[in-house]
Amino acid sequence: MIQFFHVYKAYPGDPPVLSDINLSVEKGEFVFLTGPSGAGKTTLLKLIFCAEKATKGQILVGGRNIARIRESAVPYLRRNIGVVFQDFKLLPHRTVEDNVSFTLDVLGVPRAAARDKVRRMLKLVGLEHKANSFPLRLSGGEQQRVVIARALVNDPTILLADEPTGNLDPALTVEIMDLLTQVNIRGTTVVVATHDATLLARYQKRTVRLERGQIVSDEDGVKAARRMVV
Amino acid sequence: MSALAKTRYFWRSAAVGLKHSPFVHFIAVTTIAIALFSAGLARGSARVLDNLLASLGGEVEVTVYLAPELGQDEAHGVRARVEELSKGQVTLVPPDAALERLRTELGDLGEALAELPENPLPAALELRVPPEQRTPEALQVLAKELRALPGVSGVDYGEQAVERLTAIARALRFGSLVAFVVVLGATVVIVAATLQLAIYSRREEIEIQKLVGATDRFVKAPFLLEGLLQGLLGAGVALLGLWAFGRLVGPTLGSLFAFLLGPGVAAPWVEPRLVMELVGAGCGLGLGGSFVAVGRFLRV
Repeated sequence: MIQFFHVYKAYPGDPPVLSDINLSVEKGEFVFLTGPSGAGKTTLLKLIFCAEKATKGQILVGGRNIARIRESAVPYLRRNIGVVFQDFKLLPHRTVEDNVSFTLDVLGVPRAAARDKVRRMLKLVGLEHKANSFPLRLSGGEQQRVVIARALVNDPTILLADEPTGNLDPALTVEIMDLLTQVNIRGTTVVVATHDATLLARYQKRTVRLERGQIVSDEDGVKAARRMVV
Repeated sequence: MSALAKTRYFWRSAAVGLKHSPFVHFIAVTTIAIALFSAGLARGSARVLDNLLASLGGEVEVTVYLAPELGQDEAHGVRARVEELSKGQVTLVPPDAALERLRTELGDLGEALAELPENPLPAALELRVPPEQRTPEALQVLAKELRALPGVSGVDYGEQAVERLTAIARALRFGSLVAFVVVLGATVVIVAATLQLAIYSRREEIEIQKLVGATDRFVKAPFLLEGLLQGLLGAGVALLGLWAFGRLVGPTLGSLFAFLLGPGVAAPWVEPRLVMELVGAGCGLGLGGSFVAVGRFLRV
């Protein structure tokens, strides 16, 4: 589903943010991307949804080489990738329902069909009763669930989450992670960037560790969790 | 289905945009309205000027002087030729009739003409020009053609006055055109600047749109529509202003200058053609401004 071949990312005058990244994520897989701050986790995610361009190397997403993708083709690639951020990025003056249907507006889904899809998605994330609320009236966990609903409402094949629980307390963190696990079980490929070791230990998923822009380990869930405990 | 949903979304989004930053859009609409109101006034003034020139052309009497050596038959021949060229009504005034007319016009002083040894006045043709030729340019062309006719010694139609007026009208038109272009340019810049503020206030929304797969065109369309709506509103306000101007000031102007300008000055200031022109110009200004704004701001 996602493949990196000798990928480099550098900004002029600075040391490379990513060096010689080789990575393969299978369809339907759940992968944690971990490492200290500045290790390159966010940049790696940004390369996948074309918010940044690789300096060198090839990146395949769904079999398509996106390392040299045309600017005009980027929106169509993004329609297949849901993205969740730590800072939510919700529109405060729109209701929960409008925030989620925002994705469908872009795709030109008729209003009635969009409303049905949005309601189903809000039910999935447990927020159907908050459809008419405004984001600032919701808790952090609820806001993050709205973001997840927005990212999933058009059935993307990939979900990228950058520190999705970074702003949440432990109880809400579990709530969100359980939701992401559910989404993965439904068949969506999920890549979560986090530096929270407790998550890695609890969920025991494949873990790719980055340090100073390089992959230093790529372990299955059990092995990674064991190392976390030790 | 998808296109219809998108179109609906664009209009809804544009309307929300107008509602979202009312002050910014108020400035843009006012700017467009002022520019179009000025343009409408300039158009109205130009029409008054045209009426003046046309009426002046209608009143000008073209007199074609015939060569003194011309006989009666030859004079009739020239008359026929002039009639053919001008498509107007031509009256032959023989020298005796011309002298008699002068004597009548001079009144008591006219008796002095009896002392003249011989009649100094040449035979002349008085030409009543048809309406389509009553413009300074057409009169100039006609006079040139008449002067070239054999047997014609001169043509008079108040040439200098008409030429001076034409030059003034041309200078006024050119000046107003330059001013209009400058005002249009300034309006586009102001509209673009205000729309940039509106776009900036919605940058978060744009960022999310791009994130969920919106194309550049999709992001830009509502802002272009906002510009279009601004233009339409501006044109509406300008037309309302011109209509009010025509109602309040038009009659006063008409009564003040009717002796000079004729009935044209009292003509309505808002005509169907002007409505179309101003609405078109308003849409152009709004779209132009928003095009500049989105082009500069949405390079994402």
